[in-house]
Amino acid sequence: MYVPFRRSLAVAFASALALAPGLAAAGETLDRVMSRGSLIMSTDPEYPPQSSLNAENEFIGFDIDVGTEIARRMGVEIEFVTPSWDVITAGNWSGRWDMSVGSMTPTKARAEVLNFPAIYYYTPAALVVHEENTAIDSVEAASGTSIGVGVATTYENYLNAALEIDAVGAPSFEYRVSDADIRTYDTDTLALDDLRLGDGVRLDAVVTALPTAMGAIEAGYPLKIVGDPLFLEPLSVATDKGDEAFDTRIAEIVKEMHADGTLTALSEKWYGADLTQ
Amino acid sequence: MIQPAAAPAWRGLIPWVAVFAAALLLLLPFDVGGEQTPAMLARIGLAAAITLNVWLVSQLPFRTQIAVAWLQLVALFLLFFWSFGLSYAFIWERLPSLLGLGLNRGFLMGGALTLFICIVAIVASTLIALGAALARLSSNGLAVGIATFYISFFRGTPLLLQILLIYIGLPQIGIVFSAIPAAIIALSLCYGAYMAEIFRAGIQAIPEGQREAARAVGLNEGQIMRLVVLPQAIRLIIPPTGNQFIAMLKDSSLVSVLGAWELMYLARTYGRSEFKAMEMLITAALIYWALSISFERIQARIERHYGKGVRVD
Repeated sequence: MYVPFRRSLAVAFASALALAPGLAAAGETLDRVMSRGSLIMSTDPEYPPQSSLNAENEFIGFDIDVGTEIARRMGVEIEFVTPSWDVITAGNWSGRWDMSVGSMTPTKARAEVLNFPAIYYYTPAALVVHEENTAIDSVEAASGTSIGVGVATTYENYLNAALEIDAVGAPSFEYRVSDADIRTYDTDTLALDDLRLGDGVRLDAVVTALPTAMGAIEAGYPLKIVGDPLFLEPLSVATDKGDEAFDTRIAEIVKEMHADGTLTALSEKWYGADLTQ
Repeated sequence: MIQPAAAPAWRGLIPWVAVFAAALLLLLPFDVGGEQTPAMLARIGLAAAITLNVWLVSQLPFRTQIAVAWLQLVALFLLFFWSFGLSYAFIWERLPSLLGLGLNRGFLMGGALTLFICIVAIVASTLIALGAALARLSSNGLAVGIATFYISFFRGTPLLLQILLIYIGLPQIGIVFSAIPAAIIALSLCYGAYMAEIFRAGIQAIPEGQREAARAVGLNEGQIMRLVVLPQAIRLIIPPTGNQFIAMLKDSSLVSVLGAWELMYLARTYGRSEFKAMEMLITAALIYWALSISFERIQARIERHYGKGVRVD
């Protein structure tokens, strides 16, 4: 049977071309930012108080304020894009965005695909249980229970005793939870959602950032924080590989922001405490 | 002569006893008892009420039965949501953004973006499917090879993986798409592959005699396809294609991983930002459902249009 294949191929090809606008080539990040006049920052607005969307669809949070300030000191506008966390940490951003101010811990594995030019604050990692739980009265008592964590987070690495923080001056820590039955979730808040169903219904505990846990408790989740922080994780600005000048500029700016008290003020605004030291 | 025994009257009760028993069984896991009434008594009462309801509805005319069934199920649904104790103020506040009444970075968002992605992908996937189906049926070995490879790959791998391959994989060879074009391309290619098979089946279902007759009156092969085969095939192709479009509408939620501000992304992000996930997910579900219903209606209209001139008994 004969069919006019050429014409249909031409139609398919033309429609494929019409759909291909965003063609762009990766160049020097700093040049791109300066010539565009704006710095594009990736953020994951599912993590209040670091980053979230308010009713007017504006980005708010500590990370947002820090990113905005970096752009201001660079003399450019800030723009936000919202790829998923997996896509950000996969590296090879192809110039789609210039930096991530996303409370990212510089681990060894991540440092293979991303650069971490500047640490801007430290978050304590907390163990959270349902408020009716009495069995887990210390961090160590959570050993052997089922614990929820966000997938590919430092908390998951910690429970697997495989957390290697790749940053100068990172505080040391010990693995205090062993043999946990680790349940991974798309994000930390989903784990908290499962924990709120009841003590032991799906989870016995969750390991997440202290500010995230406190945000959930403030929003009415029936949870409580157990013991002292598991570890302090340094959180860094991340950039794509390949532009040292851009990294140096960010490092300088964050150093200034540490020195002149800007970061401390922002930390107190969003966390009620100075987490930048 | 042996008289056939009249069926005893109690036989007619059997289905109702069965309904009652089924209702009671379904209610067993639920704690429906109040302060005064023991749970079992409450269950029996509820099961009796359900049985009575089923009997009453069965007495109505056919069309009314359908309407009553819908109304009752919708009421049950609302009761189910109401039992969650949701924050309606929050839903109301975020509803305009979820629907897409507004712009994000100068482009559509929410339900409007979902619809936009789907409509462009519907047009593109239809063209791709037509091309792939014709190639698959051609006598050119290379065309058949390319078409079967394409159909096999895109039907054989998960859509989520295809989305990520196009978004993260292609930039490795220098082709960088932003989130929305990547989403449209992935959806078009994936659904184009499924629909190519539907198109092929539709074309092949037209009897060979039709082509022979067309050839006999002197039409060339292109004309036969355009004027004789495709117009008849369309009637067969439309119902399963409508199905695919409804599935695509919901699968478009997968592109939320790229951070395109479509309906699912916003529902998830708003919900998690304020720790009110259930509110946003239910709202998104209702918006998806409403969109699907309008797709169904459009499909029904198109079916009627192409069904003209064909008597369906």
